[in-house]
Amino acid sequence: MSDPLLSPLRIAASGLQAQSTRMRVVSENIANAQTTGTTAGSDPYQRKTVTFQGELDRVTGAEMVRVGGIGTDETPFILEHDPGNPAANAEGYVKMPNVRMLVEMADMREANRSYEANIQVVKQAREIINMTIDLLRS
Amino acid sequence: MEQVYLFGIASQRTSWLATRQTLVAENVANANTPGYQAKDLASFSEVLASTRLDLASSSNMHMASLGGTSDSQDVVTETPWDVTHSGNSVSLEQEMLKAGEISRAYSLDTSVVKAFHRLLVMSVKG
Repeated sequence: MSDPLLSPLRIAASGLQAQSTRMRVVSENIANAQTTGTTAGSDPYQRKTVTFQGELDRVTGAEMVRVGGIGTDETPFILEHDPGNPAANAEGYVKMPNVRMLVEMADMREANRSYEANIQVVKQAREIINMTIDLLRS
Repeated sequence: MEQVYLFGIASQRTSWLATRQTLVAENVANANTPGYQAKDLASFSEVLASTRLDLASSSNMHMASLGGTSDSQDVVTETPWDVTHSGNSVSLEQEMLKAGEISRAYSLDTSVVKAFHRLLVMSVKG
């Protein structure tokens, strides 16, 4: 393992990147919460999901994290009766995206919380490095 | 030279704390990775107990010491506070608690080293 004083910074940075990607996906979902199809009976926006996976960093020997992949949520679309909509099918039903605001909000708060935790680790790693450097100043 | 031994212990402890800090960073970064098991280090008293009886050797023919070296820091699985549905056992609160503990211990350690350094300098200067 390389320098244990510096590897926390690299690991926390990987965590920050993963969580911000998650934030991006959540905001894409929220932005497209009302995106229907354009032609009659076509599929609307499909909710995206993000998965994380551990990744061994060969240089430091530390287990970092990265985005495993951005998939799509397969839950069925919500049907709404709106015959005037251009995306309405023959019966007058429009397929709405399978985005649930509550789930997105919960996901966003969790991403936020994890991001803060990673920031805290960065702050503390910096503090510890400073303490070590201060030994030379005494 | 008793002081030198103290410096040795202090540097061993700082390296133990720094490694522990790395593990905290790993746990926090993987706080949402499915199936990830939180990691921790074996306690410092165990590390110290295994290094105190280290024999000095100047040749490969010498008897190998019984204890491990200071580099053998065993990574153990942390006792989790809770395991989520995805099989992840990281608790952010627990990690923050550990991080605070590490920071405090590190500050104590560097203060001790500073104090001993001052002591040495004082005895040299008179």
